[in-house]
Amino acid sequence: MTIPQAAYKVLEAIVGPDYISQDPIDCEAHTPGPNGFETDLGVATILKSPGCVIFPSTTEEVQKIVKTCNRYKVPFIPISTQWWSGRGAAKVEDALMIDLKRMDQCDIDDKHMFAVVGSGLIYSQLQEEAMKRGLYTTIPGGGSQVGVVANHILYGSSPLNYRTCIANRRILGVEWVLPDGEILRLGSCALDKDDYLWGEGIGPDLRGMIRGFSPGWMGSMGIVTKMSVKLVPFQPDKPMPVGISPDTAVELPLKRINWYNFILPSKDALVKAMYEIANAEIGAGLTKVPLFWRAIAKANNKEEFWELWDQESEETVAAMNVLRVLLIGFTSEKQLEYEERVLQDIIVKDLGGKQTRTKPTDESWVKNADSASMWMMCGGYTSLEFDFEAISHAVAKGVDCSKLKKGYTPPLMKAYGDQGWFQVGDYGHLALFEFLTYQDPDDEQKHKVDEWSVALSKMNIENRYYTAQLASHKPLFLTGPAYGPDYHKWMIRFKEEFDPDALSNPPGPADTDLFIQEAEWMQKVKDWPAPKIEANKNPKFE
Amino acid sequence: MPEEYVKFDLTDMKNFEYDMKRCVRCKGCKWVDHIYMPGATYSTRCPSEKRYLFDSFSAWGRLRLALSLLNGRIEFNDRFVEAIYKCQLCGACDAGCKRNLDLEIGSALESLRIKCVADGFGPMPEHKAIAEKIEKEHNVFGGPADNRDKWAKGIQTDDKAEFVYFVGCYGSYKMQGIPKATANILKATGQSFKIMGSDEYCCGYPLYSTGQIEKAKKAAQHNIDTIAKSGAKTVITACAECYKTLKVDYPKMFNKSTSDMGYQVIHLVEFVADQMEKGTIKFKNNIDMRVTYHDACNLARMSEPWVYWEGKRKLYGITEPTAPRRKGTHGVYHQPRNILKAIPGIDYVDMIRIRENAWCCGAGGGVAEAFPEFAQWSAEERLEEVDEVGAAALITACPRCKDNFSKAINASGDNIKVMDIAEMINEAIK
Amino acid sequence: MDLKNELQKIVGAGNVLDSPEILEEYSTDNGIYPPGMPTVVVKAGKSEDVAKVINLANKNSTPVIPVSSGVHFQGCTIPYQGGIVLDLSNLNKILEIDPPNRRVRIEPGVTWGQITDELAKENIRVISPLLPHADRSVITDYLEREAPVVPKYEFAEPLMTYEIVWPNGEVFRTGSASVPGYPDSPAKGTNPAGPGLDFYRLPQGAQGTMGVINWANLKLEYLPKINKIFFMPFEDINAAIEPIYKIPRVHIGQEFFLLNHVDLALILAKQWPDDYDRLSDILPSWTLILTISGPPRRPEERIEYEKEALFDLKKQYFQDMPILEALPGVPGGGRELIHMLRKPWPKEEVYWKNRLSGACQSLFFIARPEDAPSFYEKVVDEAPKYGYPLEDLGVYLQPIEQSRVCHLEFNMFYDPDDPIEREKIRIMNRELAQDLLDMGAIFTRPYGDLADMVYEKATSYTTALKRVKKMFDPNNIMNPGRLCF
Ligand SMILES: Cc1cc2nc3c(=O)[nH]c(=O)nc-3n(C[C@H](O)[C@H](O)[C@H](O)COP(=O)(O)OP(=O)(O)OC[C@H]3O[C@@H](n4cnc5c(N)ncnc54)[C@H](O)[C@@H]3O)c2cc1C
Ligand code: SF4
Ligand code: SF4
Repeated sequence: MTIPQAAYKVLEAIVGPDYISQDPIDCEAHTPGPNGFETDLGVATILKSPGCVIFPSTTEEVQKIVKTCNRYKVPFIPISTQWWSGRGAAKVEDALMIDLKRMDQCDIDDKHMFAVVGSGLIYSQLQEEAMKRGLYTTIPGGGSQVGVVANHILYGSSPLNYRTCIANRRILGVEWVLPDGEILRLGSCALDKDDYLWGEGIGPDLRGMIRGFSPGWMGSMGIVTKMSVKLVPFQPDKPMPVGISPDTAVELPLKRINWYNFILPSKDALVKAMYEIANAEIGAGLTKVPLFWRAIAKANNKEEFWELWDQESEETVAAMNVLRVLLIGFTSEKQLEYEERVLQDIIVKDLGGKQTRTKPTDESWVKNADSASMWMMCGGYTSLEFDFEAISHAVAKGVDCSKLKKGYTPPLMKAYGDQGWFQVGDYGHLALFEFLTYQDPDDEQKHKVDEWSVALSKMNIENRYYTAQLASHKPLFLTGPAYGPDYHKWMIRFKEEFDPDALSNPPGPADTDLFIQEAEWMQKVKDWPAPKIEANKNPKFE
Repeated sequence: MPEEYVKFDLTDMKNFEYDMKRCVRCKGCKWVDHIYMPGATYSTRCPSEKRYLFDSFSAWGRLRLALSLLNGRIEFNDRFVEAIYKCQLCGACDAGCKRNLDLEIGSALESLRIKCVADGFGPMPEHKAIAEKIEKEHNVFGGPADNRDKWAKGIQTDDKAEFVYFVGCYGSYKMQGIPKATANILKATGQSFKIMGSDEYCCGYPLYSTGQIEKAKKAAQHNIDTIAKSGAKTVITACAECYKTLKVDYPKMFNKSTSDMGYQVIHLVEFVADQMEKGTIKFKNNIDMRVTYHDACNLARMSEPWVYWEGKRKLYGITEPTAPRRKGTHGVYHQPRNILKAIPGIDYVDMIRIRENAWCCGAGGGVAEAFPEFAQWSAEERLEEVDEVGAAALITACPRCKDNFSKAINASGDNIKVMDIAEMINEAIK
Repeated sequence: MDLKNELQKIVGAGNVLDSPEILEEYSTDNGIYPPGMPTVVVKAGKSEDVAKVINLANKNSTPVIPVSSGVHFQGCTIPYQGGIVLDLSNLNKILEIDPPNRRVRIEPGVTWGQITDELAKENIRVISPLLPHADRSVITDYLEREAPVVPKYEFAEPLMTYEIVWPNGEVFRTGSASVPGYPDSPAKGTNPAGPGLDFYRLPQGAQGTMGVINWANLKLEYLPKINKIFFMPFEDINAAIEPIYKIPRVHIGQEFFLLNHVDLALILAKQWPDDYDRLSDILPSWTLILTISGPPRRPEERIEYEKEALFDLKKQYFQDMPILEALPGVPGGGRELIHMLRKPWPKEEVYWKNRLSGACQSLFFIARPEDAPSFYEKVVDEAPKYGYPLEDLGVYLQPIEQSRVCHLEFNMFYDPDDPIEREKIRIMNRELAQDLLDMGAIFTRPYGDLADMVYEKATSYTTALKRVKKMFDPNNIMNPGRLCF
């Protein structure tokens, strides 16, 4: 399994012999799985080991590599940290994996509050650099180990989105190597390649074409080599790290930043609280977490988790309407005091909620996000349903997901009717909804998880819910006609225009369609029309 | 998953298949704990991955390779062996991984080395050469076995003492200032001790860490027997490698627990910290210096006692009885720092990556022997960090670290002073 | 069948207009650019008409120029290549007001005049640009990325989702409004992202070249009831820069912007022209204007801590900067500005930008606030060369997103009926733009003459944009001749 040797020689000349390999050992090591995000699901059956791995260090090198791929028709796949491991893998044989980890630039303009970052830079690095300057970014639920560039392209959801919204709002200048190797610069760098100040236009704004909702192109529309991302003003006292692994946290400067936990008398009251808090324009984070996360936080290991979790029931889960609120005194300590008073008015006085104890520290969200611990309890974790829409949308969808899940439990972990995670974004104009599920990756019934994934798509379409799980994560030809309508046509048209030879991570955005086509056990759920997908060609819709 | 019966027995890689399979590529084994992430630089913990970039040189990549070997997807070849041995076995990955998960990364890597040797592909020629020296003269340098206690000439030992001082090859043959200082310190506190002289064999770290488990077991058995014969209950050492080998690896090799060994291992810094508490040691000398401390992997995150386990692994990976997990939480972290801070005149400053997040000096796991250039590269990165915090001296608690740093300093002409903590304590109590 | 007939079949005979007077009316705007005659004007009566008209135009390769507002300043609705002017002003329904989710769904013909009063009844508002013309379409102002006058939010994009007829005739709903059956759905249309791609910014800044919006969801915010206004006067623009960065960064205030004495006098003058003459004399050269307002809960307490923080900043960083609650010499101290800022410019009065000479050419771009003084210097150096009196130069600096950048605007007033003066302004506008572009001004929405110079500089972007445009508009029917199309 290799790429054409003539191509290899050219590529080797571009980066030097230390930064390229086609040794089967290196290629095998760069193959994700068997566990990881989606690598334990059916879609993994279409993943392939790369035929070659390369580490460029500059945009010019990336451009030359992509042009070489075009010359020799070598499919390529960019990766930043490969955390989204089921997608950071080739679906065709003999592909070139372009690992961008050497491109870890981080230049911050404090005054204009942006960071120009390369693909190798991760969130905790950026957050620390930002906080040193009195600014912050939002750590996504995917974890602090997530690539900043990739996350801004792909998703960008975090409890800190309460004020800042999802990351698409925070992309400024972009340097992007198109699938054919041409460099496209967006925003102010369209005018001056070194000026990353601003993101709009010129005229129609192409920023949305590099990303998507969600997860967008997943590497099938070229490579973003550099991006400037917005940072936002924080408060002046830097949270300081304390503790020894695994119990590490940042200590909050409590006069300026604090978490508050409340138990509301009912779910309705909890939802009302969310609306009211947002309407009062207070807060910096507002989230209702699934109950099993509390058990994860309390447990030292999976055995302890199961001891705790086995004590729960539908009743205890339904009764736990826990709201977590983060307040930050951006303006002054008095702001925090003021917001505490408003919070008390809303939750305690008006809605009969009770405040419970919280730690004076932050373990997850401000600097760190413990996404890896999601695998702790079952060994397998997948998030096959998430979106951003109105708070009421999140609430309704939670009920429906929870109902639907019953038919797929097991292999999904029992969650006693938990209705998912929701957190408010953009000051209450919307809320993230995420329905997390867990399974044992070696469970004999695990194909049912793939069916669950499709059932969710069908539920969304039927019940008219929005979802971030569109291409390339759900069948393009099932969801495409329903949303937009026909959003899939535009994706395919873009592919045809910018990547006619389907070299950039093929067959994106139809990965899931390919898997469903190939997987014998999926045929019983596949009841929508779709063309034949070829792994190394762009999908066609007519 | 189907129920399975597993053991913490490193000679069968299958015992760690679960750990290999369940890696999620979160790279907790690469990055400094995100809570402590210092920014855009000094942000990683794995020297191997940083130096060689390819996933084959990372913990997650090696786990994948090990699994693929078990599954028959790949076979050993030169590149694979190179990837296996260009790793310090520094344990940074293991501690990083266990922050979130229950995977035995360190043991899986060790087990892979054992398999590599068993299948005839490892270790590296340099490791074999050392093994021969150990076999012949019981030390890594191949110096005459009888010279082992030469350093102790004129030093008073006590054959009836409860304490046996395990000196190690580096102290005995190359860096005798350290054992001399150690002996002085023990004496100053009134602690009697004995040594094993030529009956002390190399602890076996160079054998065990390179996968030569059968040879390591021989050395270990000899030392275990000698300690038992000596009647001592406490083994004290000033070498982090010896410390961890005696405390953790010996029981591991024989499928036992640390608590079953019949002796307790302590490092000099633990002893001194204890004496400080008791008030039996006084730092009289003023030492005007800005110093920092390097956490030796083997004394720090890898030093928790070993607990042997066998049992069932069931649905979701639940173990029965609950498997013990060494997370690096209880390494010897505070003692050396407290000692240094207590010495008058010392301006103590921590480095950027400390304790469980520390960056390895580069020497461990057989790297210094087989890939000296890589070992030096790793040391240089650490020395940059020393510069970054403005320390004039770097204090270590392991002769191997001191040796590796000294070589790097000699090569670069840097003016950082490297001292072993025993030497520093000895200066302070003079 | 001819075009007119077919159009009549779509919208009814009464809505297809081609009398010379009407065509004349649509051939020009309130700006510096020469007229261009449409072939026909079509008034859409319902949103379904739009796709039909566009499909027809595609069949005939006829240009379509969408027009929503009742007033235009930048020439982007002048039909230089003839074709169909698609007038959307009758699509003026406020379709939904959804206070809990703080959104309003409106058609493109809804104007600032119309929406402000309607929303005020529920104590809510769409945050507007600075004193918009009452007849401007709310949707097009934000499609054209006018800068909101409140920079306190972490991001300044009030437009959320919309239904658009792409230039190829396909009807599409963006973001979460893309769900099947919208608006009869749990999805409310509050998420702009997706589906698949982030389409929502593509039609922005497009001057009607990327399709026609049938309706859009915009964000609502509360309408504060209790307010305070502060004026910070400066003689030198340089002194205003640090406060511009520092104040919004600690989350103080709502409306916040800098005006020079000309623009401020134009806004504050009651009796024309006496008040203007007096005010432009006595007003400080520059005034930074800040409102602090109370939200629905505990409004006074909020105002109190923000005010205290403002004075703390002053103490710490700009002790010499006066913070006034009233402008000396101005009747009422200028305090009525608070109320003015929450409404469009009153319909019965000449638009503030047109007060001085009848018309105004605004040259604006995105910049770092710290660079504003040098841009200003440049304009001051250059304007006299065109015979433009500096005492008539209006300047407006609008911080965006807590002053990460600003919208910097130079207002040049002229007599629209004097062709020579108009041409002079056009030349000055173009040449100044070139100078400022060379200095690093970021023209993200280049109108008229500016398009060529800006796109020439942005070659790779231009190439990609043309490829995208071709995908969406294979026959190049949507407002051809704009931008780089
Ligand atoms: C357990 C888990 C939970 C998560 N939860 C959240 C969450 O709550 N919020 C959230 O926002 N995200 C979440 N994510 C997703 C996370 O956002 C992604 O992992 C991340 O955005 C991708 O970054 P990466 O470094 O992992 O990219 P990679 O895995 O390296 O790449 C992901 C995809 O992007 C492509 N890509 C990578 N770099 C580039 C580039 N420079 N140019 C073009 N394409 C590129 C790749 O080809 C690949 O298809 C979660 C992920 C996991 C695994
Ligand atoms: S920390 Fe553990 S699970 Fe994560 S990548 Fe490393 S070895 Fe794998
Ligand atoms: S032991 Fe150290 S060098 Fe080896 S993989 Fe783990 S962290 Fe890297």
